[in-house]
Amino acid sequence: MRTPLIAVIVSFAIAVSGLSLMPGAVIDGEVSRLTLFEAFYIISYTATTIGFGEIPYAFSTAQRLWMTFSIYLTVIPWFYAIGKIISLFQDSGLRQAVTTARFARAVGNLHEPFYIICGYGETGALLVSALDRGQIRVVVVESMQDRVNDLELEDYQFDIPALCADARLPDVLLKAGLRHPMCAGVAALTDHDQVNLAIAIAAKLINPDLKVLARADNEETAANMASFGTDHIINPYALFGDHLAMEVHALGTYLLHEWLTGVPGSSLPSPACPPIGRWIVCGYGRFGKSVVENLQRENITTTIVEAEPELTGCEDCIIGSGAEAKTLEEAGVRDAVGIVAGTDNDINNLSIVMTAREMNPDLFVVIRKNHRYNEPLFEHFNADITMQPSDIIAHECLAHMISPLLAMFLSMMRSQTNAWANQLISQLVGVVGENVPETWAITIDYHHAPALYNFLSWGKTITLENLLRDPSNRDNKLDLVPLLLLRDNQPTLQPKADLTLRPGDQILLCGQPSARDAIPLTLSKYKALSYILDGTEIPDGLVWRWVSNRFSNRRKKGT
Amino acid sequence: MNLEKVIFGFFIVLALTLNFGYFIGDMDNPAHHHVYELYAAIVVNLIATVLKFGDRTQIGAVHLATSLVADLQLITAAILFAAVSGTPSEATMINHVVSLSGGALLANIISVILLIAETVTLRR
Repeated sequence: MRTPLIAVIVSFAIAVSGLSLMPGAVIDGEVSRLTLFEAFYIISYTATTIGFGEIPYAFSTAQRLWMTFSIYLTVIPWFYAIGKIISLFQDSGLRQAVTTARFARAVGNLHEPFYIICGYGETGALLVSALDRGQIRVVVVESMQDRVNDLELEDYQFDIPALCADARLPDVLLKAGLRHPMCAGVAALTDHDQVNLAIAIAAKLINPDLKVLARADNEETAANMASFGTDHIINPYALFGDHLAMEVHALGTYLLHEWLTGVPGSSLPSPACPPIGRWIVCGYGRFGKSVVENLQRENITTTIVEAEPELTGCEDCIIGSGAEAKTLEEAGVRDAVGIVAGTDNDINNLSIVMTAREMNPDLFVVIRKNHRYNEPLFEHFNADITMQPSDIIAHECLAHMISPLLAMFLSMMRSQTNAWANQLISQLVGVVGENVPETWAITIDYHHAPALYNFLSWGKTITLENLLRDPSNRDNKLDLVPLLLLRDNQPTLQPKADLTLRPGDQILLCGQPSARDAIPLTLSKYKALSYILDGTEIPDGLVWRWVSNRFSNRRKKGT
Repeated sequence: MNLEKVIFGFFIVLALTLNFGYFIGDMDNPAHHHVYELYAAIVVNLIATVLKFGDRTQIGAVHLATSLVADLQLITAAILFAAVSGTPSEATMINHVVSLSGGALLANIISVILLIAETVTLRR
């Protein structure tokens, strides 16, 4: 940077001094010369190629000679200097430093609870969009610049600070707010197990109380993560096998699970009940193994078709990829009830199920979808169940992130009967409609619900039913359903409407966005709460309150 | 024999000397203050400022600061001179031009003192 600037200064100096020394036009018998200032002015507009004119008089030959020389002398260093300075500002190191500083500042300014999401692939994108809809703040760290650009182009409600950096580096995690008092958790959702492991370890070391969710595709990584206390390890294949089993024996429970952990506002897929009988499983990788294990637990016999049995450790299976009719014949596709295409190649999976459907049109088809970009093919094919790893991981993360009460509810729900789940679903559909509802938790304490808390501590009796009324019209009920009550660390499923509220209660609610907006009014405004309780309107201003007090006192005294 | 230090020292001392040369003489006598010397002082001061960029030490920061002060004062002096030269008030206004260059002189002196201090403590 020094050379161009010095070149400019020196060339200007020579040109200006020369021009002021050159003899000018002869005026009134005297040779006029340009002053230094005039020379500087002329050279300025010459070097920058503006070019006004010859002032104050037309130049003499000597001056014009010098001007010609100085044009070439000054213009070239000028452009060289400008070019150099502009390229300095475009220096990638500088840009990176500025971006990182801006990111760290944006994170530092957050004053609501937020989650750090590492990895903005398909899973990350889904999760971020769901959290954003749920009004939960997010910070994203992703190592590929293209994906960060995609994030910036998306239309999110909140401003999401995003950094393109390797999340393995503890420095990056610290800048993303690992030690920030408002950080509520870290989700390690990258495509590589080792990176997820590194993120989990860093998070647990630097901030041990922080909730860590990590994706682990391999068993050893999962075991490794569990050994130092990762809060939730998500293995999409194991989860899917588990969900498939749930679908077989408790469809209502599965539906409820999907519904409560979906992206708010999206529609529910129609349920499909997998038949009991003999199933063919193509592909015995992690996915296949999990499916086979779970199906066998449900007493469903399976026939495994695997192209490389030595690699995957399959003892008793039919060798082949499953895409040819011959292999499927051998596996007995004509009298099977279901087929699972679980290889890691989308085209293979589609080929398997197309061949199978041709041979047995009544087959129940479960297909594994690896990449989102193949979505049109899968949509068109319309399998009975399509498994996408990123959906499963995102749903599982949401279950833990939306509220710890939701995770509690989902695990308690598993031990209930299918009939109970179906009844709850019909109640929910009746209240909130067919789209995925919003799920959130409220806490009755001084910070989050001042009016309610104060009323309770002054001895007023308030039931859950009061809370469910619309603060703008107490005869209307809000569109929401209470799912879980946590009192003194004791959870109660589906609390009754006549339950008396107590300070310290936490309630998990599920309902329409309009209900979610109305509840804070009931919780924090004295006026709204008293209106709901007994229909009286507390006057707003100090003056009227004093006046109405005087009147009511007089009436009490009997005057 | 470090060429970079030679050039650095050369320009700093040259800036001081040119500035001093312009400043010295009766303040209200324009004949004592040749405008070309002011011009040369400005040019060399600018070059010295550019040479001081990029030094991240404390002493480098103060060097740059003094140079910027000197530049500011000298350029203001030049602007003032350009405005009043040729007009009848030149005789009185020349005082102001010279006093501004005196301010720049002090800044250059500080810069040279810093240079001397740096050289003496280095000893290699």
